[in-house]
Amino acid sequence: MAFAVFFFASWLVLTLFLVIPKKLSIIENTFVFLIILVISINWTWIIYEEIKLIKSTEETMEYTAFLLFRSVIIPMILVTQLNLLCRANKFTKSLLILSTSLAILLLLTFLSTFFNMANYIKWNIGYDAIYYLSLHVIAYYSLKFFRKSAQSEVKYS
Amino acid sequence: MSLWESFDKNEISILLFVVVGYAFLFLLPKKFTREITLLFLLWGFTIGVLFDFTIGGGLVDFFKLNDSNGYRLFDFLYYLLFAPFSYLFIYFYESFRINKKTFIWYIVAWAGIGVGMQWVFTLVEIVQFQKGYKIPFSFPIFLMTQTITGLYYEFVFSRFKVLKSGLKKPRGY
Repeated sequence: MAFAVFFFASWLVLTLFLVIPKKLSIIENTFVFLIILVISINWTWIIYEEIKLIKSTEETMEYTAFLLFRSVIIPMILVTQLNLLCRANKFTKSLLILSTSLAILLLLTFLSTFFNMANYIKWNIGYDAIYYLSLHVIAYYSLKFFRKSAQSEVKYS
Repeated sequence: MSLWESFDKNEISILLFVVVGYAFLFLLPKKFTREITLLFLLWGFTIGVLFDFTIGGGLVDFFKLNDSNGYRLFDFLYYLLFAPFSYLFIYFYESFRINKKTFIWYIVAWAGIGVGMQWVFTLVEIVQFQKGYKIPFSFPIFLMTQTITGLYYEFVFSRFKVLKSGLKKPRGY
C-alpha cells in the first residue's frame, strides 16, 4: 500500500510540474531540484542512520516508498511550489501556495509514519514542519543565488 | 560521530584526489558561463550522493566508504570528487565537439574511466564492496548517468548560452 501511494504521489507531482506554467528556466529548475535533493538525502541519513532519531523500515517495498519520498517527491514539491510562488503577485497568494506545499508535505509525512515507513523515536511532526519550512527558504535563496551569479558575470565580463 | 575511522591511506588518497581534481578545474581555461559551471559541478556532486545513499547505504548497502558504514567527513570529500568529474565530462564533450557520430564512443570511454577510477578507489580502500557487489555492476550505472548527462548537456546547449565566448559552435549535425 505504501509503495502504491508514494508512487502515485511521485507521479502526481511530476506531472503537475510538467503541466503548470513555469516561471523558472530549465537550468534554474534543475539547480534548485539538485540543491534540495542533496539536502533531503543528507538530512534523512543523518536523522535516521547517524543520530537515530527516527527508525526507517526494513521492509523492501516500504523502503522503496521512502526512497521515492526522499529523492523524488520532496525536491519536486519544492521546485513546483517555487515556480508557482514566482508567479504569484499577491502576498496572500504566496502565503496560500507556501501553506499548501507545507500541508502536502506534512500529510505525506503523516502517511509515512502511518505505513511504518518511518517510526519516530525522539522526533515529532512539528520538527518536520520546521525542516520543510527551512527547505522552502533554502529553495528560494538558492534560486536568488543562482540568478545573481549569472547576472554578476554579465555585469563584470 | 567522528570525522574519520582511522586516518590512513584512504583519507590521504582522497585529499590527493581532491587536490588534483580541483586543480584541473581551476587550471583549465574557463570555457563555460558561471551558471553552467555551477550547474554541472552540482550535477556531478548530486549523482555521487544519490547513488551512494541509494545503493551504497540503507537496506541495499552494496559498499562502505572509508572503513565505515557511517557518514564521515571524508565520505563528503569523496562525493566532492564527482563535481570535477562531471565538469571534465562536459569540458571535453565540448572540446572534442561530440556529435551524433562520436556520442556512443565518448560515453563508453567515460564509463570506462568511471569504472577504472572506482577500481583505483577500491585499491586504496576508499570504497569496499559488500553483499556480493562487484565492480562490473558499476559499468551500467556509469553508462546510464553519463548518457543522461550528455543528453541533458545537449538540451541545455540548444537553449542557453553555454560557452563564455558566446559563440554557438557547429556540432556536426
